[in-house]
Formats: sequence, C-alpha cells, structure tokens
Amino acid sequence: MTTVNKLLQMENLERHYVMPSGTVRALDGVDLEIKEGERIILLGPSGSGKSTLLNCLSALDTPTGGSYQFAGKKVPRASVLGPKLWERITSIPWNPLTLMPPLRFLFYPIDYFTHSRPEAKASEQMTRFRRENIGYVFQFFNLLQDLTVLENILLIQELADGRDEERARHLLKIVGLEAEVNRFPAEISGGQQQRVAIARSLAKSPRLLLGDELTGNLDSKTSSMVMEALVKACEAERITCVLVTHDESLIEFATRVIRIDSGKIISDEIVE
Amino acid sequence: MRLSNEVELLFGLLTKRLARSLWRTKIRLFAVVIMVMVGVFAGISFAAYAHTASGMYEDIYADTDKGVNLADIWVENPSSTWDGSTADLFCLEIEAQWPDSDLSLNECEPRLKLDGVMFHISDDGEESIVPAVWHGIDQGHIDRVWFPEHECCSGVMPSADDEIVVDVRVAEGMDVGIGDRIAIGAGSGTMNYSIVGIGFHSNHLYYAQSGSLFPADPGTFATGYLTAEGLEKLANLSGGSANQLLIDIVGTPEYDLQSTTDIEGEEITLVIDKIDSILQDVHDSPSLVYSRSGVESVEFLRADAESAMDIYVPVTVMIAIVAGITIFLSLQRLVQSQAREIAILRTLGIPRNVIIPGYILMPVIIGLVGCLLGAIFGILFGAPSMLDVYEGVLGIPIVESANINPILLQISGIAMLVVLFSGILPAIQASRLQPLEIMRGQHEIRLSSRMLQRLTSRFPSTVGLTIRSSIRKPARLAFTFFAVGLSMLIFGSMTLMMGTMEDAIVGNVEDNQNWDAEVVVPFGGEVAVSEWAEKRGANYELKLAFPANPDGDARYLSANGLDSISTNDNSMVVLDLKEGSLPAANSEITQVLVDEGLQHFLDWQVGQIQTIMFGATPMNIEITGITQGEISRTIYLHRQDLVPVVGMEATSVLIELPQGVEVDSELGEISLGVTQKEDLISTFESLLEQQQAIFNSVLALGIIIAIVVLFNTLIMNLAERDFEIATLRVLGAPINKIGGMMLGEHIAIGLVGGILATGFTIIGTQALVSTFIQWAFYLTVSPDFMVIAQLIGIVVFISVMLTPFGMWRISRLNLVEKVKDLSQ
Repeated sequence: MTTVNKLLQMENLERHYVMPSGTVRALDGVDLEIKEGERIILLGPSGSGKSTLLNCLSALDTPTGGSYQFAGKKVPRASVLGPKLWERITSIPWNPLTLMPPLRFLFYPIDYFTHSRPEAKASEQMTRFRRENIGYVFQFFNLLQDLTVLENILLIQELADGRDEERARHLLKIVGLEAEVNRFPAEISGGQQQRVAIARSLAKSPRLLLGDELTGNLDSKTSSMVMEALVKACEAERITCVLVTHDESLIEFATRVIRIDSGKIISDEIVE
Repeated sequence: MRLSNEVELLFGLLTKRLARSLWRTKIRLFAVVIMVMVGVFAGISFAAYAHTASGMYEDIYADTDKGVNLADIWVENPSSTWDGSTADLFCLEIEAQWPDSDLSLNECEPRLKLDGVMFHISDDGEESIVPAVWHGIDQGHIDRVWFPEHECCSGVMPSADDEIVVDVRVAEGMDVGIGDRIAIGAGSGTMNYSIVGIGFHSNHLYYAQSGSLFPADPGTFATGYLTAEGLEKLANLSGGSANQLLIDIVGTPEYDLQSTTDIEGEEITLVIDKIDSILQDVHDSPSLVYSRSGVESVEFLRADAESAMDIYVPVTVMIAIVAGITIFLSLQRLVQSQAREIAILRTLGIPRNVIIPGYILMPVIIGLVGCLLGAIFGILFGAPSMLDVYEGVLGIPIVESANINPILLQISGIAMLVVLFSGILPAIQASRLQPLEIMRGQHEIRLSSRMLQRLTSRFPSTVGLTIRSSIRKPARLAFTFFAVGLSMLIFGSMTLMMGTMEDAIVGNVEDNQNWDAEVVVPFGGEVAVSEWAEKRGANYELKLAFPANPDGDARYLSANGLDSISTNDNSMVVLDLKEGSLPAANSEITQVLVDEGLQHFLDWQVGQIQTIMFGATPMNIEITGITQGEISRTIYLHRQDLVPVVGMEATSVLIELPQGVEVDSELGEISLGVTQKEDLISTFESLLEQQQAIFNSVLALGIIIAIVVLFNTLIMNLAERDFEIATLRVLGAPINKIGGMMLGEHIAIGLVGGILATGFTIIGTQALVSTFIQWAFYLTVSPDFMVIAQLIGIVVFISVMLTPFGMWRISRLNLVEKVKDLSQ
C-alpha cells in the first residue's frame, strides 16, 4: 500500500480587490488540500476566480487573507505595506498639480527603502518558490523564438542553476518531440509548441505543474495529444497538476475535478 | 461628398489615437523633439558664424569707404630694402609694361614694412621685448588702416614722424591707449612714439606672427602703423625706402586659392608672371610676387569663412539624420505595437490612404516643435555665442552680423525635410500591414538565423539568447549603430582633431625645439647677436629661412637652412624623419628634406630631383628624406648650401639660454624681433584653452545624442521583450540572472556600437581633415589608442547604463497582469 502525501493546503484563502465600484471577492474563503500525484481540472465560468486561484497557488499573487502551506511550509507572499510616504503626503488636499511631481521625487529615496526594497525582496522569495516548486504552461506557449526547442528547455534549467541536457532530451522524448530538438518554435505546429512548453515547465523538476487554458488555442484532436503527453510526462515524473480550463472534455485526463464560482469551490469530485 | 466627410472623420480619429499613443511614450517623444531642436540649434549657430564671417571678409577688404581696399598683388623684397628711386622705377615700369589683360592697373604704391620689437614694461614692472611688425603708411589708398565704427577703435592716422597707430590687440594686451608713448625698435636702436589711434591693418586682421597659424597671446606680438618718415627714421633708412609694392587692380579679380589645385585666377597669374619678369629686368635681386593667397592673415580669414560655410549644412544634416533615424525607429515600433489595431481597422474597411497621413503628420508636428525650440535657442544663445567666439578667438569686432531670417528658413527647411522623410517609410509600412497575417500573429513570427544558431550553439543557452536577441532586429540595430556612429563622429572628430593639433603644435614646440629664443636679425645682424650669446655663455645656432616656391607653382614654402640637421633629441631643432635619410652638405645637387605636406601636394618622393625658385633664381634639390609634424610647407637643408643662393648668412639666431640668463633690451636693440619658446607655448595653450568651452560643448552634444539614440533603441528592445521576460519570471528565473543576460547584451551592443563609432570617427575625421587641409595648413590624423578606447568606453558605458533601468522595469512587471495576457 502506497502512502499519498499532502502537497499543499489552503485554508479560508481570500483574494479581494478594492475597486472604485466596491470590493471584488475573487477568492472568498477557499479551503483546498492537494495530494501528490493528483491531476486536478479546475472548471468554472469566466470571472469565477479560477485564474486567481492558480495565481495564488503559484505565488504570483498574494492572498489578502487565509493561509497557504506548500509541503508543510508557508508560501512566501508580498509584503503588506501601508501607502507610500508621498502618497500619504499628496493625499492631503493641497494643490496636487504643482506639488505632486516634486514631492514624489523628494520622497523617492524614503519610499525606495521603505517600500521598493522589501517589495523586491518578497518578489524574489516568491520567484524562488516558483523556481523550486512550480511549473507553468500558458495558453499561448510563449516559447522564445530565438532559441531552438532544446535550447528553450536548457534555458530554464540554466536560469534555475542546473543545465542537464540529458534530462531535457528525455523530457522531449516523453512528449514525443525527440526529432524536433534543433528546430525553432516557428518551424513546428501549435500542438508541438505546447508540448515543448510542457517539457519546459517540467525541466527543473517541479512538484506542481499549473496550466492556464493550455489547450485553449488548440483543436480537439491536438488538445487530446497535448493532454496525453502531459499525463505521460506527469506520471513519469510523479508531478502533481492543476489545470484551469473551460473545456469539460479534458475531465477524462483528470483524477479530480474542482468547480469554482464566485470565488468559492462549489464542487470537488474524485474521478474514477 | 459623404465619403469625403467619413474619411475626414476617420482621419481625425486615427490621428488623435496616434497622438495619444505617442504621448504615452513621453520620454522618447521628448528626446526626439530635443534632437531636432539640437540639430536646428547647431545649424543656426554655425550658419550665423559662417555667414557673418563671409560677410565680414567681403566688407573689410572691399574697395569702399568702409573697407580697406586690400591690394591685389604684393611685390616683396625679402632680404633688404629698395631706395626710393628704385621703388618708384618699379612702379613706373609696371605701369608702362602692364600686360595686355582684362585686368587694369589702378595704382602701385611703394611701402616700407619692417620686423622689429616693442619694449614693454608691465604693471608689475617686468620688462619684455615683444616681436613686432611696423608699417610705414602715408595716407595710402591701398591696404589702409581699418577704423571700424566700434568701441574698440578710435583716433586718427599718424601725421608726424613720432606718431603711431597701434593695433587693437596691442592696446588691449599691453594696456596702452591714445596719448601714451611707447618705445619700439627695428634693429637700429630704440625710439619713442605717441599713440594717436587704435585700429586694425588688413594684413593683421587675423593676429598671428608671420609663419604662425595661431593668433598670438595678448602681449606677445605687436603691430603698429607709422608714417613712412617715422618708420624710415626708426630703421635709419633714407627717404622713400621701400621693401613692398602694393598693386591695386580695378575691381576685385579672381585669384588662385591655396585650398584647391585649380587655377581660379588665370588672368592674375599672367600679370604676376609679367611683373616678376619686369622686376628681374629692372633690378636683379630676389623678390616675391604674390596675390591675396600669399597673405597668411587674409588667406586664413577666407579659409575660415569658406570652411564654416562648407560645414554648417553637413553638420545640420548629420544631426537631423540622427533625429530622423530616431523618429523612424520610434514610429516603426509604434506601427508594430499598433499592428493589431491597424489590422482591425483595415478589416472594418478603413482605406490605406486614411492610415498614411497620421504617421506623416506626427513627425511633421515633432519637427515643427523641434524647429521652433531650436530656432528660439539658436537665435537667443547659439548664434550670439558663436559670434562671441569669432570676436574672442579672431579678435575682430563684428560690425554687422548676418541676417538670421534666411538662415532660419534654410536650417528649418533642411530639418523638416529629413524629419518628414523619416515618417514616410513607417507610414507605408502601416498601410501595407496584412490584416489576416496580423490576426494570426504571423507578422511577429520570425525565423531565427540558422547560421547564428550554429555559431552560438556551443554556448550556454543564456549566452546564445543574449547574442541572438541582441541582433534580433538587424535593421533597427544597423540604423542605431549608424546614428550612434554619426553622433560619436561629432564627439570623436573633435577629440582626434584637438589631440592631433595639440601634438602638432604644442608637442612639436615643446619636444622638438630645444632653443629658448629665436632672434630675428637684419642683414648681417647675426654677428652682433652671436657675440651677445657668446658673452653670456649661451649655445646658439644660425638659421637661414627664406621663402621659395616650386618651379611652376606660385605657392610658397619655407626653405630652412640649419647648421645641424638632426633627429637627435639634443639638437637645437629636432626633425621627425618619416622616411629616407638625412641630407649631406655640399653635394653636387643640394640635398634636402621635404615635409610630408609637400609629398602630399606635389607628390615629391625620396630620390627625386626637383627645382625650387628663390625669386627668379632656380635651385635643383635632391630629396633624401620626408619629415613629419610640420603644419606649413617646409624644406630643410644645410645652411651653407642656401647661403650662396640667397646671399645672406642668416635670418635668425636660435639661442639656448643658460640658467639665469634672460633676453634683455640690448638683444632687442640689435634684433628685428625675439620670439621666446615659452611665449609660443603659452600662445598655443591659451588658444586651446579658449576653444575648450566649444570643445566641451560639442563633446556634450555628441554624447547626449548618442545617449538618446542608444536609449531609444534599447528601451524599445526591452519593451518588446516584456512577454519573454514575464514568461521567464513566471517560470522562476531570478532577476539577477535576467539582469546578467541583459548586461551581456548591453555590453555586446555597446562594444559593436563603439567599434563602429570608432570606425566612423576615424574615417569621418580623415574625410573632414581632407576637406580643410591646404597648402598652408596640413596635418594628418592618425588613430590614437587612448581616443579609440575612450570612444568605445563611452558607447559601452551608455549602453550598460540601461541595464539598471531594465532591471527596474522588470522589477515593476505586474506578473499577474502579464499572465492574463499570456493566457488570453
């Protein structure tokens, strides 16, 4: 009997945006636990909060409330700091037209040390979290056009401190592109590009792979091929996946389906 | 009618949208406007100088009440003076035998002009002996003294034999004025004269000592204008003595220019040849006959005005092209970023001709604003500053400055034309975008170069990406390098030129002239000066410098007879031998060294035998070597070889003063002038210092333009890469590694740009130098390692300075928003 470990846990997670028209509750008290090896499909209508949840999972965005632990550790988040000094000063109703620009300039050094530096530090901690734990696949592939298929994967490894050409080639073999290693992205099809993007996202051995409408730009046949490649790769690499989609047909590739609406999880089913 | 209204409406909306898009890149927009402004500003400033200098040249020398009626032909006795009857006979013979020509003789005036000294005691009691030139002028009609209607000048011409008019620069430099008495000499003791006027003389408007191309430092050179009797008394000469004949021709005839190889003054050349033969028939003594091109001061002012006129349009065009390239690249980027919007408009049926005008109108507006600002700054600050330079460096008051309106029109017209042209291609590109391709995103897909991939495949992917993305847009990069090259040409050419001039002038005097004083002596006067030197234990050497001209060529060179012709650092005059060997004395055919200017202009080579003329006396010479470093045309030979030809022993004595020995009044009284090495160096250094402000301004201008051009391109490169960088950041790329890649790219672009800018500068400077070198002024520009390193370093520095900006930009990337874009 194999023991399935808990990969991450979110409790009462909130992400609120303050807008002129009022507060938007993009995530409104989400409780979520994901175990290693799961392949989760996150479904929901537009504006339901699924992309916000993905952003919070990847530490691209910082929740405004609740807790988020990954592999038993707190996930870094951006510093919550008060308004900048110049913002506080210029909010006083004196002539902003004449005073704002010079005041902003004058208070820039103070704001830099009190805001920019902590923000930059937190941002790098979040980037490090992503580098060590997260893989990400976008709808529009976003491969670097100046690099070949293989080099696109090697680049991510190099930026993460570990070039491993053997592994890069192995990943390309898993996604069925071993013959295309030296071609440029513009020379291969959309489906092939997306498979390269999957291999790229796996290049640094993430524990969690996130995909945002990764088949949204592909026809159904190609979508199936991409998803098969993804499943194959994730199984081979023992990687957990969370994929956001509108496409109900992708459920066949999932082990779990979560539906979200108005910032809340409305259903959570295990797929047989 | 309805269609026309719709088109008008659409045009208005599209233009408004375009203007708003441009306004969103305010910094870039501002930079482009500034560049147009700089071009117009520089153009107006240089043009005001050029037109004023040309106008002044014409007005001062004109045969009018306000002009000085410059002579057209000068006859000069370089070794002695003619008595009154001989001088009068010359004029009579010239009048009688005037050749059959379109040119008619107006007047022939004998004149006396002598080298001498002025004794001056400064405010702190220090006595100095200043080399001087004294003119004897009795109410002459030719080469009059110029008293412009200006606060600089006042008084009247001398009428008594103890009266003198001094030059403005003497009055200013030695702090003397009307009513003061000054002590002067001309080789025969000292006399005191009362100053009755302060003015200018046509031969000394550009105030430099004979043989020097640079204006004398205040207080180191003097000129004065006496009555003929007054000068005869000073030099102890008989009445009517003269050593010059000034010949005025009716009107102002064309004459041969030193700066060209063409014969512009065919008629006057025939007259000069005829006068030469008349002189030989009447009196067999060496004499020089020359036109305006032989008068250094006149020729310098003409060359200055001519080169200023030649250069201001190219400078304006050059800066306008750099601005045009920046506008072109910015608009091209705008078209690229608006491709989708344009495609939607085209899909909705908007015709091409509605899209084009907006992209042309924008540069026109940018150009108009730039021109307006440039005109305001040019008229208020640029032109007055350049005219101050004219007055400051040349020391000539501007009586009437050029009319600014035609200049304004010309410069603005050039700038607008270039700017307008820069908008045409992006406008055409915008109108030719294929909606279908854009909607499919195909217009952004480029196939990277396979060869480049192969070349960089062995590098880490980060390095490969750095190299490939650096040259992702080769056309943009090429235009940028071209623009940076042009802007650095402005900076680099000044640096190279100033370095070359400093080496050629100050370096040459400091390192290659080991004498402390050059004492000009009258005929036979070298004996007294030698005795003066021996008495004081000073080393000395005689020098015989005599004007000559190549056979069949009216241009003059200086034949320098030296006692010791050597490249040894300890000799009195150290020669820099470029090729060949030193000449031997007393050879069958006189052996000489010629300077590289003569090699350039006459194609004289080592081993050749040539003929030079001393007046009508020919001398065959064998060229044994070529020297370098001389600005004026010079040949060197052993003094003993020259003495029999010119009938003189020496024209000056070079003296190396022992510790504690100084030039004194005794030396002044027995000489025709004393030039001290330290005065020469201080003159050159002061001139370089005066020009430092202009030099620094041009440097700053070039660097600012290079910064704007490079920043414009690199910011566009960064902006285009937002999605790539966001992708890498989402995938966990640390900012310092992306920063490292960016730094590598900026260093690479800086290095390539710097190397190309250096190439531009060297080729451009050599081309620039070749346009203004002429017989009287020759120098070569050789690439200097320090200048090259400086140029490359500046471009690399500018490029690398953008890395922190790029890092800051990345740190501000809103990844959540970017991910939305990446997934939509």
